[in-house]
Parts: sequence; structure tokens; C-alpha cells
Amino acid sequence: MTYFDELTRAMTWLGEQPDTVFIGQQVRYPGNSLFKTLEGVPMEKRIEFPVAENMQLGASIGMAMQGKTVISIFPRMDFLLCAADMLVNHLDKNLYPLTGKVIIRTCIGATKPMHPGVQHCGDYTEGLRSLFDNVVVEKLRLNSPINAIYQSSYYSWVPVAKVIIEEADLYGMESRTRL
Amino acid sequence: MLSKQELIDFEADIAREFEAGNIRAPVHLHGGNEEALIEIFKEIKSMDYVFSTHRSHYHALLHGVPADKVKAEIMAGHSISLQFPEYHFFTSAIVAGICPIALGVAMTGQKCWVFVGDMAAQTGIFHECAKYAFQHSLPIYFITEDNGLSVDTPTEKVWGDTDYWQEEFDEWLGKYSYLYDRTYPHQGAGKWVTF
Repeated sequence: MTYFDELTRAMTWLGEQPDTVFIGQQVRYPGNSLFKTLEGVPMEKRIEFPVAENMQLGASIGMAMQGKTVISIFPRMDFLLCAADMLVNHLDKNLYPLTGKVIIRTCIGATKPMHPGVQHCGDYTEGLRSLFDNVVVEKLRLNSPINAIYQSSYYSWVPVAKVIIEEADLYGMESRTRL
Repeated sequence: MLSKQELIDFEADIAREFEAGNIRAPVHLHGGNEEALIEIFKEIKSMDYVFSTHRSHYHALLHGVPADKVKAEIMAGHSISLQFPEYHFFTSAIVAGICPIALGVAMTGQKCWVFVGDMAAQTGIFHECAKYAFQHSLPIYFITEDNGLSVDTPTEKVWGDTDYWQEEFDEWLGKYSYLYDRTYPHQGAGKWVTF
């Protein structure tokens, strides 16, 4: 099973949970590799959102205040930076009681076989960690139990918000997880 | 609902506490908008969600948060970020920051009322939220509280006086814009895509 298959398995499992909603770009329409990992997620759970990252993350917080577990998808980590206000000034400050969760899914763009340019493959994992007091940042490696990480993010109440980062360069590689 | 005089008296009390050095944090006092707010809050039901800004004392009081609770939070230094979840009342001290959060609550079907200042109403995030809400017929109202100032900066002046506004703006913006149908996909030539 590849890293990509593991991601697909995790998304399919999340899609089976009653309170989940998937929001972002290319969640209902094709255009990137993340889209294909959602093939097991019912269309009625997917909200194709305008390219408005800060609005998207704010709306994700609002829906989580109403009990939704929101998988908020930012196809590239570079784009997630546009939501810095909602990430740092709002979500991380725990000002708004969430009865659901915010699971931010983002990706470090692939650099092989083509390099996409400096604005499309940024890895800001450590930078994000340094900004947060409460939001947890987790990077998915080849040996990461991807499905288990998403399941624990769904069930766990500490934290209620998480950034889960995947690496597109690993998509085709064999996953080393045994879970 | 509190009367105009009760609102004024509440803020006067907070002003006295602040001047006496009993509040060791910023406070942003309401004033001059009591009648307008009382009329608006006649429309707002107790189960509705109210979202506000750094200046929110009147909003909280008029939405039914008891005055002693509001004062206690202010005395504790939380004037600029009052939160009363049990009364469906939330604020953000970041300009227009509350707008997308309110939008998300409205997306779940809850009726929402969002108060912003006149500079916030000029921001991109405000316009994104208002446009999305309007186009998707969400149960949300945005209320701009316009005193012409952002801190002490004249809002319209710094944006450029806009007497001509919408029609000429649209004409200018569209002058060299065009429509077209694309030949190739978003990325690549159509055979394979790695994105």
C-alpha cells in the first residue's frame, strides 16, 4: 500500500463519520492529486470553496463551533500561509469553543519529476510550529500511521485543531506503516 | 432589553473604573449609537448568534448578557475580546476577523448578525464573506457601524474619496478584461498531470 493509498484510506474513513465535512479547493472538481484521495468521500460532504484561504479557515472554525469535524484542505502549504490570521490569531488562541474539530490538511508540493517553482513547494512545518501554542502540527512520513493519525485527530479532544502535512513527493512510495 | 440610558450609564461606569486605574487593559467604549442599536436588536432573537469587534459592550448587553457578567469580563481585562458562548456571543479584536467565523456558523444554518466598523467593511475578507453569504443565501446579516474613523484615521479619505464609485469603478476595472475558453488544462498539456 502506498503513501497515497494510505491517505485515501484515511479520507474514506473520515468520510464515513457522520459529522465530517470536507472544504477547500479541488474537493468536488479535479485538478490535483489530493482530489483523487477523496474518491471515497460522498459528494454531499464536500464543499468546493472559492480560493479565499483566510475565509475558508474562518468558516471551518465557525462550522466546528457547531459540532462539525471539518477537514479543511489547502492543496499546498504555500497557500495555507494566506490563512495566517485565522490560524494564529483565531484558531490557535482557543477563543471560540469548538464542539467539533478543525483538521487542516495540507501538502508540500512535489519537486520531482518537475520542480514547481519556489512558491509551490514550500515546507513551513517548523515555522508553523513556532507560531502555535495550541494547534498541533504533524508531518506524515513514509512510516507514519496515516490512517491512525487521522482517526486519533477525529476522536481526540486535545487538541481540537491540528495541521496535518503530507509530502507529494512520497505519494507513489510504499508506505512503511504497519497499522 | 436595556434602555438607552441604561446603556449610557453602563459605559460611564466602565469609564470611571478605567480612569481610576481599576482595569489594567484596553477598553473600547460605545457611545452615540444607542438608539440605532436598540432598533437593530429588536430584530435579533436570543438564540441568534451575534458576532462583534473590539468594541462590543453594547452588543453583549443588548443580546441579553447580564450587565454584571459583562462588567466582570471587562474588569478582568477582556474588553476587546468578550466571549459569551452560552449567549451565542463572540468577538474578535482583529479587524474583520470575526467575519469568516460567523460565515461558518451561518453555513450550518444558524442565524447570525455580524457587527463591523467602517474600515473593516472595506477589507478584502469582509467583502469575500459578504459576497459568499449573499450569493449562497446564508442566514446572516452584516451591520457596518460607520463613524467615519478607523482609530483616528478617516476611512474614506485614506481609501480615496469615492463619489464616482461603483459604475465608473466597474467600467475602469473591466476596460481591458476579457473572456476566453482555455485550450489546455490548468497544468500541463492534458496527457498527464502531477500537481
